[in-house]
Amino acid sequence: MTTAQVSTPRSTPPAQPTEADKQLLQFAQGVELAARDLYKKAADSGKYADDELAMLTLFGEHHNSYAQAMNGLIGKAATNTRNESLYSAHVGQLASAQSAYASLQSLENTLAATNTDILGQLLGTDAAKILASIITIEARMAAVFGTLPALSLTSALNSSGNSLAPKIAQAPAAPTETTVAP
Amino acid sequence: MNNISRRDALRISGLSVFGAAFLAACGKQSGVVQSANILSEGAVTPTTAIPEGVVTDTVLLRTAASLEYSAIDLYNLILKDGMLTGDYAKLTDAITRFRDAHQTHADSVNALVVSLGGKAHTCANARMDSLYIQPALKLVTEKGNPDASRDIVALAHAVENICVQTYQGFVATLTAPTLRADSIRVATDEARHAVVLAQVLNGGYASVGPTNNEKTGKPNIASVPAAFGSLSSVLLSIGAPNADDLKPTLTLETPSLNGLIYDFVDCQ
Repeated sequence: MTTAQVSTPRSTPPAQPTEADKQLLQFAQGVELAARDLYKKAADSGKYADDELAMLTLFGEHHNSYAQAMNGLIGKAATNTRNESLYSAHVGQLASAQSAYASLQSLENTLAATNTDILGQLLGTDAAKILASIITIEARMAAVFGTLPALSLTSALNSSGNSLAPKIAQAPAAPTETTVAP
Repeated sequence: MNNISRRDALRISGLSVFGAAFLAACGKQSGVVQSANILSEGAVTPTTAIPEGVVTDTVLLRTAASLEYSAIDLYNLILKDGMLTGDYAKLTDAITRFRDAHQTHADSVNALVVSLGGKAHTCANARMDSLYIQPALKLVTEKGNPDASRDIVALAHAVENICVQTYQGFVATLTAPTLRADSIRVATDEARHAVVLAQVLNGGYASVGPTNNEKTGKPNIASVPAAFGSLSSVLLSIGAPNADDLKPTLTLETPSLNGLIYDFVDCQ
């Protein structure tokens, strides 16, 4: 058994989101709301029933939970509006069950890539932890569409998704004030 | 106001006298003759101080690399010993691809370690192996286990989940945002492995989300077990069933401070 301690990093990252973090999380919330609405559209189409419908409804609820988690992180800065561009790119492909699954898998891969890109820019650790827990589930949801209705290993392991995340520069860290005794 | 009665006072004073006598008997006043010979009996073995483990980005990444090697070793064992039989033999291609993916991840993570000035770690996590993987393998391969192939796939599924959780958990501790993204990028690949194995073990639309075993009340294997990625322990039911047809359950956890690969840890 060894002794261990958590080291103090060279510069301790903040827990709370910075101003740049808030803009990134606003974007993340928009894409999650678009995903929620796309699943709702698919579920309301009447093409699915029973367990399949329950799964699509569950996935939509997950994305709604993610949007709510963003609300908790950024409070009044939340816009609560979906990303129309992402919604429009996928809504037309929900017409048939076959194209819908391919589209929803592509959507999940896009969300995972976008949120990973955002994670790579966030300074605040609270948001980073939540986003990390969202990304792993979005990857799982993407993979599910490669395993159902029949398993395709290549499709299930397909992780190609383009990030939509904006690049937002963090403000330079404020200099630390030092009080010198007279 | 003093509420101690005369009887209480007698009891307390009695205990005090007994305590003092007991302590006196244990101390120097007990009549034992002091001898310098006792101190010189035998040679004092010199001790080596245990190095102090400091958790840094490099240590976390070396630990991640060690888990990759644990997964690689497990998959190599499955393939070498032909542990996939019957319907599970169809998984050989998937297991091979997963093994190769873990090697790619190990190489990428070690490249990050080296770029940060650390030393690459190219062997399995000994503590995770001894705590979880070896006991699990013993259960899988024991006589009387009718589901050895199913159980080895369940073990692989559990190891994939532990890998995902480890990378996800490290996000909270890694100091650089770019390293956090690199970490979660690997986690997403391994989450996909977990989904494929989950669908093999408990397939169909009804099993995608969380469900519980009606008999045991324990959670069934699920492709998407929760809305948010969990960091809690992973339950693994494997081995020969008991008289009630219940398999032993192991609890796997991500590496604790004792399982991290500190800078002073080397491959044996």
